[in-house]
Amino acid sequence: MDDIVISVKGLTKSYGGFEAVRGVDFEVRRGHVLALLGPNGAGKTTTVEILEGYRQRDGGEVSVLGRDPSHRDKELRSRVGIVLQECAVDQYLTVTEAITQRAGLYPDPRPVDEVVSMVGLGAKGRCRIKTLSGGQQRRLDLGLALVGNPELIFLDEPTTGFDPSARRESWELVRGLCAEGRTVVLTTHYMDEAQALADQVTVIAAGKVVASGTPDTLGGRDQGETTVRFVLPAGVELCELPLPPDLRPEVRCGVVEVRLPDATALLHDLTGWALARGQVLDGLKVRRPSLEDVYLDLTGDDG
Amino acid sequence: MNDVEIALHQVRYEQKTYWRNPMAAVFTFMFPVVFLLVVGTSAGSSTISGSTLRYDQYLVVAMLVFGLIAACYTNLGVTLCIRRDQGVLKRMRGTPIATASYFGGLIGSILINVVLLTALVVAIGMVGYHLHFPYHPLAAAVTLLVGVVTFCALGLAVTVLISNGEAAPAVINGIYFPVVFISGVFYPISNSSVLSKIADYFPVRHMVKGLVGAFENGPGSGLQVRDLLIMALWAIGGLVFAVRRFRWEPRHR
Ligand SMILES: Nc1ncnc2c1ncn2[C@@H]1O[C@H](COP(=O)(O)OP(=O)(O)O)[C@@H](O)[C@H]1O
Ligand SMILES: [Mg+2]
Repeated sequence: MDDIVISVKGLTKSYGGFEAVRGVDFEVRRGHVLALLGPNGAGKTTTVEILEGYRQRDGGEVSVLGRDPSHRDKELRSRVGIVLQECAVDQYLTVTEAITQRAGLYPDPRPVDEVVSMVGLGAKGRCRIKTLSGGQQRRLDLGLALVGNPELIFLDEPTTGFDPSARRESWELVRGLCAEGRTVVLTTHYMDEAQALADQVTVIAAGKVVASGTPDTLGGRDQGETTVRFVLPAGVELCELPLPPDLRPEVRCGVVEVRLPDATALLHDLTGWALARGQVLDGLKVRRPSLEDVYLDLTGDDG
Repeated sequence: MNDVEIALHQVRYEQKTYWRNPMAAVFTFMFPVVFLLVVGTSAGSSTISGSTLRYDQYLVVAMLVFGLIAACYTNLGVTLCIRRDQGVLKRMRGTPIATASYFGGLIGSILINVVLLTALVVAIGMVGYHLHFPYHPLAAAVTLLVGVVTFCALGLAVTVLISNGEAAPAVINGIYFPVVFISGVFYPISNSSVLSKIADYFPVRHMVKGLVGAFENGPGSGLQVRDLLIMALWAIGGLVFAVRRFRWEPRHR
């Protein structure tokens, strides 16, 4: 199918005797953002660098834009943009020069000025790269990956070390790339980044896919239980509360906690009861499991 | 753009990068010039035995060899090690550039530097030391070209021995300086001495002899075929080693 830009089946890779990737599967559709989410050492970079053609896989099937990336053919390289986990920019050129140099290597590059301002370095175009801050060099890195007009872009932890506003700007940039029909694969260990950008999240831990889905449904998140919490009002016994009989509330340090699939009716009863008695429900909180809860659940404590 | 045009495109940026990084130019251009001005003027103008060149004229030719080695072996080796360590090479590898275009760009830029260096050093020699324009210009050009090929090949090869970019200048010069010393680059060494017998195993002395042959006149001058063949052996060895073992990526940390 032409719509599948990347397909990975049963991918494995070992270093010496150590299995870094042990049977990873996923697919990415054109125009989508896939977030590979996982703790450090999970195998994200290994997976992505196999797709980029830097590393040879031990087993499994891999197709990138309909080709086998291990052949490293020129045409594939001219259709793919890569931001490596480690930033690598020659120090002695200016921002504009570095991007112009890179543009010269591609058959159909984007205009250099456009790229410089896309990555927010418009004011720095004539500055030597060694005078840029770490975050600015990282954005230049992104610009270098985009100047070749790639259909598919790999971003390995693109915003690690960014301040919050720079991260948000990068997110906007990624959304813009998707709006142009480009496909993006990004690795990250930030839950909010996956939540904000991804059409599809694949969680990897210890070389295996532990969950896969849209950010809103990942790990049964949409079906997970809602938690309602509030402080037990003074002088009120637990049995006086208008709770459905089949619920088993827990009380810890005077805080009542109830878990149930749908809290709508409960909240109605509870607040109606409190209003009728002139009570205040201190600390009332209603929580759905966040992507972070699901992620920590899936990857264990060392996430 | 085809691969040749891309190589030429790379030459432009290699040149910019080169001239903005003062360290490389200091060894290649400054050192020979300063050496000639300081040592050359006190070297005296007696003729070296067995040669038609004067002592100071010999030093001019030897300094051209010194600069050429700095421009090729040292510069290529250090530049590649640092770029590999920083991940610049790895990133290049992710673009559609052909390997030949990338190295073509680097070596094209080095050729420009060697032409400039040759013009500068020969001009100093002719103006300051009455050095004759090479009696055998073609032999000079061929020798310089074989020198560029040989010392670029060895610059590529030495990157295989180095795993850490910060150590690159120390290791690369550490290998090179002893050889330069025994090869008669700073003072003439007699062909019958033990040092010269050792130096004959390495390419530097042959480069000096080859170039001296092009600047001399009289019997035995001209193209030094035997010296060039020995350099070519080093070039082939270095190239084979480099092609087999060259690494584009930094060591895994
Ligand atoms: N070139 C390599 N040689 C040996 N081990 C490696 C190499 N690259 C990665 N590893 C190991 O493989 C595991 C996965 O690494 P990596 O793919 O970089 O994970 P991530 O990007 O998710 O942090 C880690 O334990 C790492 O130490
Ligand atoms: Mg990684």
